[in-house]
Amino acid sequence: MTRREKRKEVRLTFEKQHGIPRVSATAVDRSEQAKEKERKQIEQYKALERNVSDRVKSKDYSGSTLQATSNLLTQNPEYYTIWNYRRLILQDAVHREVASGHDATGKEQIDEKDIAAAEKAGLTLPQQEISLLVNEDLQFLIPLLKQFPKCYWIWNHRSWLLATATKHLPAKSTVKLWQAELGLVSKMLALDSRNFHGWGYRREVVQELERLSGSSMAEKEFEYTTKMINSNLSNFSAWHYRSQLIPRLLEEREVGSEDRKKMLDTEFELITRALYTDPYDQSLWFYHQYLLSTLDPGNSQSTSLLHPVTNADRAQYLQQELDSIREMLDGAEDCKYIYQALLECSLRYLEVGSGNRSPLENEMKDWLVELKKIDPLRAGRWRDLEAKMKL
Amino acid sequence: MDSLDQTEWDVTISGTGLPQSLLALALSRSGLRILHLDRNGYYGGNEAALALRDAEEWTQEHGDQAGQERRAFSQAELVNKDGERSQTGLGPSRAYSLALAPQLVYTRSNLLPVLVSSRTHEQMDFQAVGSWFTISAPLSIQQEQSIIPTMMKVPSGREDIFADNTLDLRAKRSLTKFLRFVSAYDTDELQAQWASIRDKPVAQSLREDFGLRTDAAVAPLLGLALVPSSSDTTVMAYLVPRIARHMRSTGLFGPGFSAVLPKWGGLAEVAQVACRACAVGGGVYVLGQDAASASTTEDGRTEVKLSGSEKVTTKWLVGCVDDLPHSFSQQTGKEDGKPWPRSITIVSSPLTSLFPTTSEGGVTPAGAVIAVDSPDSDEPPVHIVAHASDSGECPQGQCVLYASTASENGMEKLDLAVKSLLQSVGEDPKPQVLWSMRFLQRAPRSAVTQTSDSAREGNVIRLQTLSTDVVLEDGMLEDVKKAWHAITGESEEHFMKFEPRNGEAEDDSVL
Repeated sequence: MTRREKRKEVRLTFEKQHGIPRVSATAVDRSEQAKEKERKQIEQYKALERNVSDRVKSKDYSGSTLQATSNLLTQNPEYYTIWNYRRLILQDAVHREVASGHDATGKEQIDEKDIAAAEKAGLTLPQQEISLLVNEDLQFLIPLLKQFPKCYWIWNHRSWLLATATKHLPAKSTVKLWQAELGLVSKMLALDSRNFHGWGYRREVVQELERLSGSSMAEKEFEYTTKMINSNLSNFSAWHYRSQLIPRLLEEREVGSEDRKKMLDTEFELITRALYTDPYDQSLWFYHQYLLSTLDPGNSQSTSLLHPVTNADRAQYLQQELDSIREMLDGAEDCKYIYQALLECSLRYLEVGSGNRSPLENEMKDWLVELKKIDPLRAGRWRDLEAKMKL
Repeated sequence: MDSLDQTEWDVTISGTGLPQSLLALALSRSGLRILHLDRNGYYGGNEAALALRDAEEWTQEHGDQAGQERRAFSQAELVNKDGERSQTGLGPSRAYSLALAPQLVYTRSNLLPVLVSSRTHEQMDFQAVGSWFTISAPLSIQQEQSIIPTMMKVPSGREDIFADNTLDLRAKRSLTKFLRFVSAYDTDELQAQWASIRDKPVAQSLREDFGLRTDAAVAPLLGLALVPSSSDTTVMAYLVPRIARHMRSTGLFGPGFSAVLPKWGGLAEVAQVACRACAVGGGVYVLGQDAASASTTEDGRTEVKLSGSEKVTTKWLVGCVDDLPHSFSQQTGKEDGKPWPRSITIVSSPLTSLFPTTSEGGVTPAGAVIAVDSPDSDEPPVHIVAHASDSGECPQGQCVLYASTASENGMEKLDLAVKSLLQSVGEDPKPQVLWSMRFLQRAPRSAVTQTSDSAREGNVIRLQTLSTDVVLEDGMLEDVKKAWHAITGESEEHFMKFEPRNGEAEDDSVL
């Protein structure tokens, strides 16, 4: 099945997906037979490991050593030293290719086919070889990545391969590679939308693509976060990414203050709708908190979305949110996040608002009492909050 | 083939319907000598899949037979358009594989793990059943053309509720809260609350206990639970576990769907693969033969006379009520159920709006469920399961609709429901019915647990017929397991747990 064809079949077996283990047909076998089998497997593994180490130490960076590392890594991709060895081998191959490009004599017999392929791709022969090397390794990684989607070293090696390609190949080739990476990471995120390795890698890929093409992908990525959120509201990574994109979006769109207000309004509406649907979801409150933080005059980390913005504007939004969250309590009086948000919002309001503080401060005292009741395990934390509130 | 006459067997299974075929699969590694018969010329029995011409023959065989013997199907008829088949847009007969058993299989059903552990799942393809819909304001007999019925997607989880424009913020909150209750209703924490509401009628409890007052909020829940009777008579004890099953099944094999369907003709595929596995294990298969009568021999075995008048002796005789000799079907009664109307319709459009991908990058579903309210609120709804051409059941550009209802005189209702569906999708030109058949199927409406007394008479075991519930229920496999245990005496952990045969891959990890 090509990648373009839409997937129609459902698989009934799976490894480590959503934390559900494989359906295992046989119980753990502790017989002598099984132990003997296991002993042999351990010996084989150790022999392979020794083999690889010895070869690398003696600087045998041949194709058969590469194959040996492939065998070892397929069995144990967490063994990061072997990834380092693999990169030594690949690096050596790359350097030899680059060197051969400058040296006209002493070249091996060059295959006509290779020259033709290189010309067709618009690459020099060394570049073509490097491209093949990189692509082969990328292919090698794919089944490993699917089986171990949260292994740092696999993602890391992939990054390295892409960086190597970017260094040695012309932009039009590397753009294709990075675009393929975007496709891959979208697939990985479709399989597990909360894999933060995937999200981090995606940002890396997008950054490179933007650099190579000279144009911003903020709009598309913003749409992507919308899709992912619609798929799963609890996607903290998607909400976080969204919060990174909004300030850039507003810059790029070059909008005036009215449109900036509209954007902030739309985001508040979105998160309010989500919060009404499920106020017990912490990742939603984090995003709400982000939106509030953009209204914070003293906050250097969170850029203001509104521009220009006065304390009166800020107070208006905070008042609006206070009212909205107060209503949310109705039917969810046992939700501690709502009380936390009310207190947070009130503190912000008191900083920028004007007028009589006492009514709000009295409400805050009540909310704090509720919070202590609902979540007695965190009594210390509520005491700290109380002290901070200086009521 | 050599004559069967005077042969001796350990187990004789009559009928290759799904329950019997699964038993054959369960016994496929036992080394027992198994004779597996079916009176038809095809596999699958009541769960078979039929090519178009075969379906037409089938309707003739099962025509007006109300009360003839104990056949499951009766009053079958074609409701064709007039004219040559080539003019109607139908493809060749073999391009169709119409399922007599299009039941949904929830991802958490007990059938799927068994297909994995028995190593048969890789011989089948499964596809996702993605979206659930309800149609309210359906066409009634009087109003056929004047009203356009409205179809709404059923929110089946939090994200759907979030996106649903017809629900106001309060309704969103209440619905999510209800679903959260449902997902944990059987835990200790909620025991007291569950005890207090379980016997209440659904409409009342949803209103009083969960603040769900509007039709917009209640109708989708009824649709999700595939409630067969009218909403006035359904109680929470029926509704809640079914919704819980739906929710707990969502996302198990991929985001956005909770049930699967076997490709190429519904449960028929499963029966076929199961029989094949038994044949590989040495089972002998004979089509066109029935267990016409049976008697006990002196040494306690059963002598079975086949329809071709050959006689075999067997230690065990197993079948469903339709496939066992008359003498053993004296226990028929409430377990056999009533005759329910069902129809199969081929439509001239792929009805793509029924099969949207349910999540970013997810699978494209090949199945959809539509609950059509009855115009009369006292009457039960019609349930339609739609299968896209990706299911292999019809050519591209068409789709198949399987309709059923729990109303005894409901044949006309099925047609109206299908018409409502075709109108509500809002396609232009309007999708047409290319071909349709309907029939009555007598079966229990929902799986009834048999006691061992009623299921066994000496060494004749009667397996329960599949219910006509839109969903495949777990009871069937439990029933098969009991029969397997009676025959082999082995303990439960070994049921359907097979090692790979020589030559099969040791490791069936994915990708």
